[in-house]
This record gives sequence, structure tokens and C-alpha cells, in this order.
Amino acid sequence: MISTRWKMALAVSLLLALSSGVAWAQMASKMDADSAGIKQCVAAWEDAWNRHDAHATAGAYVEDGDFSSTTGVPSHGAKELESHYNEIFTTFLKDAHRTDTVRSIRFLTPEIASVDIDWEMTGAKTRDGKDIAVRKGLLTWVVTKHGAKWMITIYHESAF
Amino acid sequence: MISVTSKAALGVLFFISFSAASSRAQTASSRDADTAAIKQTVAGFADTWNSHDAHAVAMRYVEDGDFSSVKGEASHGRKELEDHYTTIFTTFLKNAHTTDTVRSIRFLAPDLASVDIDWLVTDPAAPGGVLRKGLLTWMLSKRNGQWMIVIYHEQSF
Repeated sequence: MISTRWKMALAVSLLLALSSGVAWAQMASKMDADSAGIKQCVAAWEDAWNRHDAHATAGAYVEDGDFSSTTGVPSHGAKELESHYNEIFTTFLKDAHRTDTVRSIRFLTPEIASVDIDWEMTGAKTRDGKDIAVRKGLLTWVVTKHGAKWMITIYHESAF
Repeated sequence: MISVTSKAALGVLFFISFSAASSRAQTASSRDADTAAIKQTVAGFADTWNSHDAHAVAMRYVEDGDFSSVKGEASHGRKELEDHYTTIFTTFLKNAHTTDTVRSIRFLAPDLASVDIDWLVTDPAAPGGVLRKGLLTWMLSKRNGQWMIVIYHEQSF
């Protein structure tokens, strides 16, 4: 027959296993919600970009966000970012349309994540006006959580 | 004459402003030390890269580090990283030399920083001696006092 002490030990072990299971499930579900929030941030940015709305595109960044182009030219902060998007949307990318697909998300803390995004663009031109059939590459972002919202803190892009 | 209560209040006020200033100075000085340590990490990486030591280069990453090439091809974890570096150091980059210059550092947390690095790879056999140039964009994390690569991205232009 099992002694009372063993029964108690068993009960405690079961309780511990159950609570750690619950904590793990809660963490996993929070991470799922954050992954969905990050994909939402990417989709909203893509949508603003495709509407060629420079203000809304810059609005997906935090106030002191950092952008760097495919040739490593930086823009810093809301004002510079909006000017940058205004310029590209009225010149060599004025007929461009992009598709962005999240490839991977790596959480660095619960509020900071690195996101890799495959991108493809049609309708783009070179800066001297020649058509480019398809441009593609990888966006590598650092996104941060503000309240319930994920925003772009650092944006890098490469083309290949 | 100033009352005892006022003197006590003044004392507390002095103490608070002194501690705030001292903690700010500490933050600034630890930030300077971290900036110097990050530059040291970048320089150390370039040294091991230039000695074409695949194992030593892979050890600059955290155990589950992520690498992505100029074409977006990924390697994950020390084993894949070491294999990747062994391949490049014995094939198309076997005579290559890298020069890495820190362009900017952005701290996301006291132990987490994003670093942009101007990058130039030379090879005597390449046209004009330049094989590749562009930007490295790293995510570094401080582990046991040491800054290590968590995520490595590179772009060539």
C-alpha cells in the first residue's frame, strides 16, 4: 500500500507538472499572438507602401526609427523617413508594387524581435528611368512592441 | 532659521539628485565601455575571419546563432556556421581579406545592440582587387560579459 507521504509527494509532483504545463501553454500562446501582431505590422506597412502613402509608411516606424536602403543609404526619424518615402513614391518607384512574405521571426526579448521578410517588386525603374522586370531580396527588421502594437525600429534591406 | 524638517528635506533632495547624477554617469560610462567592447568584438571577428579559421569564426556566434548570406541563404547554429565558413575559406574566399569598420551602434537593451558595419573584401586576383563591398548588419548580445553575434546579415552593393 502507498504511504501517505508518497501520496503527498505524488500530488505535489502532479501539481508542479500541471502548473509548468499551463505556464508553458500560456507562453506559447502569447508568442503566437505576438507573431500574429508582427505579421500584422508587416502587412500594414506593405499595404501603406502599395498605396504609396509616405506618411502611413513612415508611421509604421517608431518616432526615432532607422532605415537603410539596398545601397546602405540611411534615413533616421519620422521626418526623414517620410521625405524618403515621398521621394521614391514620386520618382523611380511611382508605379511599383511589392509583395512581402515573412520568412522567420526571432524573439530577442518579449518586446523585441528580429524579422526576415522575402520581398519582390514589379513596376520598378532604375534611378535613370529604365524598367526593371522584377526586383527581389530580403528585408531584415528589428521590431519592438509598444502597448499592443509592433512597430519598426530598424529596417535593413538587401537586393539580390 | 531653517527648521530641522527643512534641513532633512534638503538633505534627502541632495541625496536623490546625487544618486540620479551618479547613476546617469555610470550608465554613460558603462555604455562607453560596451561600445568599446563591441568594436573589439568586430575587430576580433575580422582577425579570425582573416586567419580563415572556420571554428574560431563560428565561436564568435552564440550557440544558436543565425547567419544569412548576401543571397539570403541561411545557416543556423555553430555546426552549420562552421561548415559554412569551412566551405567559403577553402573555395571562393580562400585568398580573401576583410576590412570591417563600425558605422553605427544602436542599443536596444543594456545587453542587446544592433551594429552596422561597412564591409570590404579584397582579393589580389579580383578585378581592381575588390571582391565585395557592402554593409554587415549584426545583432549582438552580451553573454557573461562578452558581446557575441546572435544574428548576422550582410548585403553587397
